[in-house]
Amino acid sequence: MELVGLASFLVFFLTLAGIYALVTLGLNVQWGFAGQFDIGIAGFWAVGAYTTAILTTPPSPFHLGGFGMPFTVGAAAATLLAALVALAVGRICVDLRTDYLAIATIGIGEILRLVLKNEEWLTNGVRGIAGIPRPFADLGRTGQALAFLALVLAAIATVHALLERARRAPWGRVQRAIRDDETAVLAVGRDVRRFRLESFVLGAAVMGFAGAVHAHFVGFISPEAFDPLYTTFLVWVMLVVGGSGNNLGAILGAFAVWAIWSLAQFVTAWLPLEWAARAGALRVLLVGVLLQAVLLWRPQGLLPERPPPPVVRDERESR
Amino acid sequence: MGEILQLLVYGLVTGGIYALGAIGVSLVFAILRFAHFAHGDLMTVGAYLALFGITTLGLPLMPAFALGALLTALLTVAVDRLLYRRLRRNGAVVLLVSSFGVALILRSLVQLVWGPENLVYGTAIVPPWRLGELRIRPVHLAILVTGVVLVTALHLFLTRSRIGKAMRAMADDPDLARIAGIPTERVVVWTWLLAGGLAATAGMFLALDTRLNPLLGWNVLLPVFAAALVGGIGNVHGAVVGGLVLGVASELSTAVLPAVYKPAVAFAAIVAVLVWRPRGLLGGR
Amino acid sequence: MSLLEARGLRGGYGDTDILRGVDLVVGPGEIVVVIGPNGAGKSTALRALFGLVRLRAGAVRFDGHDITHRPPESRVRLGLAYVPQERNVFPSLTVEENLQMGAFVRRDDIRSDLERLFELFPVLAERRRQRAGTLSGGERQMVAIARALMTRPRLLLLDEPTAGLSLRSVDVLFARIAAVHREGVAILMVEQNARKALAMAHRGYLLVGGANRFEDTGPALLAHPGIAEMFLGG
Repeated sequence: MELVGLASFLVFFLTLAGIYALVTLGLNVQWGFAGQFDIGIAGFWAVGAYTTAILTTPPSPFHLGGFGMPFTVGAAAATLLAALVALAVGRICVDLRTDYLAIATIGIGEILRLVLKNEEWLTNGVRGIAGIPRPFADLGRTGQALAFLALVLAAIATVHALLERARRAPWGRVQRAIRDDETAVLAVGRDVRRFRLESFVLGAAVMGFAGAVHAHFVGFISPEAFDPLYTTFLVWVMLVVGGSGNNLGAILGAFAVWAIWSLAQFVTAWLPLEWAARAGALRVLLVGVLLQAVLLWRPQGLLPERPPPPVVRDERESR
Repeated sequence: MGEILQLLVYGLVTGGIYALGAIGVSLVFAILRFAHFAHGDLMTVGAYLALFGITTLGLPLMPAFALGALLTALLTVAVDRLLYRRLRRNGAVVLLVSSFGVALILRSLVQLVWGPENLVYGTAIVPPWRLGELRIRPVHLAILVTGVVLVTALHLFLTRSRIGKAMRAMADDPDLARIAGIPTERVVVWTWLLAGGLAATAGMFLALDTRLNPLLGWNVLLPVFAAALVGGIGNVHGAVVGGLVLGVASELSTAVLPAVYKPAVAFAAIVAVLVWRPRGLLGGR
Repeated sequence: MSLLEARGLRGGYGDTDILRGVDLVVGPGEIVVVIGPNGAGKSTALRALFGLVRLRAGAVRFDGHDITHRPPESRVRLGLAYVPQERNVFPSLTVEENLQMGAFVRRDDIRSDLERLFELFPVLAERRRQRAGTLSGGERQMVAIARALMTRPRLLLLDEPTAGLSLRSVDVLFARIAAVHREGVAILMVEQNARKALAMAHRGYLLVGGANRFEDTGPALLAHPGIAEMFLGG
């Protein structure tokens, strides 16, 4: 029985860590590739989660929809809508300097949170949306959990493969060049603004997709269900620990930090009752200290960014 | 009309609080070249340290506030010596990430020590004075008067004292300050002392006006940044004007927008300034 | 004994070296001018003397001290001052405050020095309460030089002080630099107006490709046919 419990916890752990790995991959496009400081992560994640919740739940008098659509439609729409929100926001903000963009994304995240919390007709406000269908429900409890984990792992593999291709492609080179020296890229006549918008939108789309997957995993979404800032912060620590700019590092960082986060949960569970309510704070403190330690002593992360091998260019083409 | 005038009074109080936070953000941004994301949480820490003075040490309000500002200023310098100073050569973005982490560390410490619930200073509730239709709470007047005194003192410090002038010089051009032989690390310490103390004061005023909560400062970080940007980075007078503009604008917005969307005003101000007037209304770097 | 002695400087900002073997010597009370084509590393060499360049090799000695690894602040204390070509005043500070910032390292009374410099640069005296950012290019250069002189340096490093100035301002500024020199301050300057600069210089260096190419007295360099043709505009 113990073993079964452990195994099912492991599946649960891996699934959640995997969902975070997806978000971290999204942030790696924005920050690791392109040097865009995004503190609105939870906003894009929530857009994805709510989109699929509204589309896939059965009709409800409490919020827009639901339309009872399949998971695949929900996830696709979630990705698209997160991308569209990022496009709208990005058109205004994306060519701001790093620190100004960071400030602007606080605002984006904050406003999205306020909309989700206060526009009851759309989201049922603080009461949230329940009954988001779980895919593979007909496989039974264990089968469902395993199938969902497989889905998450497959999603990671796919997103990783796509992003790795993008990173090695000329597109990725231009992104890094803009990150390291924007004026130089401007000087060779590239449309920097367009490239920045593309990486911002691509990253947000991945975050929206991860939000949708999370919604279907948990089955319930509300503005209070998770502290948006903690989510954002956790993802940042995951990327910094794993190694900004390295897709594999992003995945590794997500699993490593989620393991620490979960272990801390076990430890804080032993605390006396009056401290239990503060356990969350203790965990954030721990992760915060971890971040500072990595910044001080291993700023490149577990897996440092490796520039891809140079492409041998056709002489005629370069002329 | 009376309604608008009343909102204006609230706006000035809120704006004064924003201004005290924005001065520090602006100075740090200009001198150390990064947006200090832990500034809101420094405000929170200051507010709670004053609470410690009142409830644990049994101090009256004013000495407790002075203690809170002093301890926060020292804490801010400690954070700089421990983290920011060592990370400075790795570039401004690393400082940005680090300060985001410091924000969360400070907040979780506050939650650990004082818990997540709302608290108050337990000051007596004084009925507002009436001026025709206008109601003015004594606490608001105290906040405004203290704010004016502090800003005046800061102005004198920055224009009369050697170290104050050096801070302005460094805000103008950190590289030239080094070349001119100004001991830049000493200026940095003074900058953090001032920024931390003023942030704490802003936090205590905010808590006095509303309630203590671990999210107290984070919730106003956006308007505080907006105020610094509107005023022009590195421009102390600009930060004060920016704070007042932001405070009044967000209070007046409640006349047309649902009150919950107040932060949207700050966001709009940020975007407007960054897109159309990147050097702020009063000019800055 | 020489006041400043730099030997075999190599280094730059990133991975590639801009300086590839630079030697510079300045004696007490000398005026020395560095000339050379664009990209020769003249300004970088000056910055290297002040500790603003990452050096991979070479040593800088000033007044008998090895200052190769000292921060700029400590070089200022020893009597070295540097005026960058651009961004060399604090624009939001007044002229007087700019000069006070120059004297930050000093603990003694600076009022007499302030008055002496306002005598040397009378135009600044009229503008002492004006923000430096509102001054003309020539006036800014004077503020920058006066700011550097507030530390009572024995050697003043000037990076193209007349760049971008009108012809008349160039002459005014050179006259002021000569006046500074008469007060006993040695001067090492990089200058585009090579003819005028060499005319007042004791010695000059020609830098090409980040290394010394030629050195001689000022008059000899002016008279040198090859150099006149290549670098002094015919």
